[in-house]
Amino acid sequence: MKRIQLEIVLGTLLVLLTTAMVVVLGFREPQRLEQYVVQQRAELIEFGATVFTNNCTSCHGSLGQGVAGVAPSLRDAHFFTERLAEVGWQGGLEDYIISVVTTGRQISTRPQLYAGMTGQAPVMPTWSEKFGGPLRDDQIRAVAAFIMNFEPYALGLVPTAVPLGPVVDESTPEGRGQVVFAAQGCTACHAISGLSTGNVGPVLDGLASRAGNTVAGLSAEEYIHQSIVDPNAYIVPGFAEGIMPQNFAELMSEDQLNDLVAFLLTLE
Amino acid sequence: MINSLIKRFNIPPRDQWREAIGKLIDDRVRIITAGLSIRELRAIMRGDPPTEKPNPRYKVITTSFVAHLRPRYYPAAATWFTHTLRLGFFTTFFFVLEIITGIVLMVYYIPFPDQAYGSVLAIESNVFLGEFLRDMHRLGAEAMVVFSWLHLLRTYFTGSYKGPRSFTWLTGVILLLITAWLSFTGYLLPWDQLAYWAVTVGTSITESGPVVGPALNLLMRGAPDIGTGGLLRFYLQHVILMPLLAILLISIHYYKVSREHSISLPAVVEETEMDPEKKKEATRRIDLIPDLLSHELFLIALGLFITVAILYFRGFASPLETHANPQQTPLDTKAPWYFWWLQGILKIDPASIIENLVNPLFEMFGLSYRVELSRLLDSKFIMGLMVPPALVLLLMAIPYIDRNPSRLARKRPFAIAWGVAWIFIVLVLSYMGTPEYGIETPAATRIIQDLAPEEGEGPLRLIPYPELENRQMEYIVGQDYGTDLCPGLSYYPDPESHPNDIVVGCPHLTEVFQTFSRRLIDAQIDGRLPGLNAKLIVEQLQADVVKVTPHVEWTDPSTGQAQTYYHIYFLHKDRAMDAH
Ligand code: HEC
Ligand code: HEC
Ligand code: HEM
Repeated sequence: MKRIQLEIVLGTLLVLLTTAMVVVLGFREPQRLEQYVVQQRAELIEFGATVFTNNCTSCHGSLGQGVAGVAPSLRDAHFFTERLAEVGWQGGLEDYIISVVTTGRQISTRPQLYAGMTGQAPVMPTWSEKFGGPLRDDQIRAVAAFIMNFEPYALGLVPTAVPLGPVVDESTPEGRGQVVFAAQGCTACHAISGLSTGNVGPVLDGLASRAGNTVAGLSAEEYIHQSIVDPNAYIVPGFAEGIMPQNFAELMSEDQLNDLVAFLLTLE
Repeated sequence: MINSLIKRFNIPPRDQWREAIGKLIDDRVRIITAGLSIRELRAIMRGDPPTEKPNPRYKVITTSFVAHLRPRYYPAAATWFTHTLRLGFFTTFFFVLEIITGIVLMVYYIPFPDQAYGSVLAIESNVFLGEFLRDMHRLGAEAMVVFSWLHLLRTYFTGSYKGPRSFTWLTGVILLLITAWLSFTGYLLPWDQLAYWAVTVGTSITESGPVVGPALNLLMRGAPDIGTGGLLRFYLQHVILMPLLAILLISIHYYKVSREHSISLPAVVEETEMDPEKKKEATRRIDLIPDLLSHELFLIALGLFITVAILYFRGFASPLETHANPQQTPLDTKAPWYFWWLQGILKIDPASIIENLVNPLFEMFGLSYRVELSRLLDSKFIMGLMVPPALVLLLMAIPYIDRNPSRLARKRPFAIAWGVAWIFIVLVLSYMGTPEYGIETPAATRIIQDLAPEEGEGPLRLIPYPELENRQMEYIVGQDYGTDLCPGLSYYPDPESHPNDIVVGCPHLTEVFQTFSRRLIDAQIDGRLPGLNAKLIVEQLQADVVKVTPHVEWTDPSTGQAQTYYHIYFLHKDRAMDAH
């Protein structure tokens, strides 16, 4: 065979093989596209989790569980099933989230529950960079995808994982008090080393040692009790009045309150 | 009626129809092929000599515009595979491939910062064979860069830039620059972190220039930071300006080769005494039609086959990192690998090198004088703005510096050694340009980043989801957990295609934790992380999302202060486990 004929034969063969590969890829394509969409959603949720952790946990809690008096839970059944009807939103939940996050809330729709972190408007700041916030549109879409992904937990379709933390002995009042401390969202504002990192209110390390001589005439136990049920009675120097929610007495039972005080008294 | 029609359309009598139709078709074929009859085409396929005189195969070259760009013939030796290695051909091949794939990508791409990334995602997730197309365009771009460098090396080592071909060499150097700028402008378009920061760092070099530096920087970026203006600028350059310039320059470059000087003969043929028989064979004409053309068609088929096969067997995937974020500089900003040598040059600080060389001498002779150049010499300006243009000028000047008339390798030992030395220099510079070289990162940051780089995969992100699901653990570094972190666990990694494969325990998680522990403890022993207190926390955040936090506390050796570094990673069950 002459070289030119060899090249024609080989070339034709290569073209056929190339075409065959492209055809096979074409047949696999619908499946690949489908899988890619699933993976893309997964990565969007991961990205949203990062956005949430960096911007929202101070009010909505590290797990999105909400902080009493500050911001609502974004992972309970109420939010997923009744909230839209409550505010009269016409569209879907994901769009509602995008809309609320984009613009923020000047005043709460439930001012008796969420007076806001500073007691002043806005209760939730604007997030979109279009209105002077820090987030781009794609970040807001991602965080909305992340919040939507709480649905299986919120509706109880999947049992919620027990939150990780130091092992507490719930047979003692101090142990139960520690659980209350986390459950009431005190962690969002107060730091206790090894337990929480909130930085809105004072650090509570060493509280038990200073509580007895803060307000004349109040024992350590009485001072702590008063700080929780009536925070404005005494304002810790350097902090503003009205930041700490005023309604914890209504949110807790008498036992819980006592356990909480017992726990705080261990912070030497 | 019929008769008048027959007359009007000049229809011949029935017995001449066959002949007339034959002639009609033949005429059409001649028009389409710019002069070849059907008989001629058949002769070409069979490898027979021309059927008419004068040779109609040469006529094509004068009548057809496209063919007139091509030579009538080359001397046989110039087409030896060992002489050109077909490198110039493949550079052109990839350029054409880029144009074709690029035009299709253009249909979907949107050059605005708030939509660019999304449109690239849409190409990957919503366009039939979109990923294939994007991969092909990216692979083709890298191949074009590689082939133009190799082509440069081959013309250098065969001495083909000498004599009349020095202008060809000059246009070649300009093409090299155009290729570099084409790839650089294209690099920004996906608008992910990789793109944004590589280009931000790249363009920042101009800023150090005197007087016009900041203005130049502004001109390139369209604003102090790359934004809408910058992206649009880069896009228009990438899809219009640079391709047009490339087409113009390639035409000039190739015109010199095909119509003026032909491809150089190998030096052995041109300069040595050869057996006359062999010499005759070596200078025999090889015609464009059919020999060169059929060979090129074969090369095209080969090039396409190899490119598609690489993509088919997943040998290449275009990266797509997270959305560009001007607020967050990644720890390692990566230039594309073919620019690492430039990044390597930037890491050299000439002032401190001179100081370190000269000052010890002063000290030796007991002089108190010390040279302090760092204040006078701006390293970024010298290494970024002076050295690269100087190198380009040097490259352009090669034909004028090298006055040695011979092209035989053994008669130009100096030039060959010089060429080999430069290959090494570029390799060393590239090594110095890798993101890790010469950049001090605090130990804890480096260790965590190596486990899970901010972008891309890394061993931590490659832990299969079942090994992390509902784990809810804090693994403390230094504690003994035995050989496996998850006793009692077993899972099927791929139940659909390999239903019998089972993994016992959590080998990946264990491996990651062990590496993490080992490197931290090593750093503690050698004094970088005293008072080490570290853990790896695995928590379930949502039904299908885990949160993994490597967390390190230590005391700063110099200040004695407590330090903490940690990074939170979220891993979704459905995340892609291979780079797509
Ligand atoms: C300064 C505290 C604060 C921060 C920070 C904050 N929020 Fe809010 N958020 C609130 C308050 C208060 C409300 C309740 C508003 C109301 O009741 O109308 C709220 C409501 C919401 C709602 C609507 C809930 C409902 O039940 O209607 C969503 C969704 C939401 N926030 C998401 C986010 C996201 C995402 C972030 C982070 C980017 C974030 N929030 C950060 C305080 C905050
Ligand atoms: C929205 C943020 C916020 C939340 C939630 C919050 N606090 Fe406070 N807390 C503060 C601020 C601000 C202060 C200081 C101003 C003041 O004294 O009212 C404070 C003060 C205190 C003090 C007095 C500290 C001292 O050093 O004297 C105690 C005790 C305390 N809080 C306990 C709690 C407990 C228990 C909870 C949970 C039931 C809680 N806080 C929830 C913001 C918060
Ligand atoms: C986009 C980039 C380029 C393209 C498409 C291109 C294309 C070509 C082609 C098709 C040839 C014919 C011979 C062959 O295939 O080797 C050629 C020859 C040549 N090229 Fe290039 N080239 C490019 C870049 C360069 C560069 C960077 C240089 C060197 C600085 C260069 C220098 C030369 C020289 C000197 C010749 C003549 C070779 C000879 O006669 O043997 N070219 N080029």
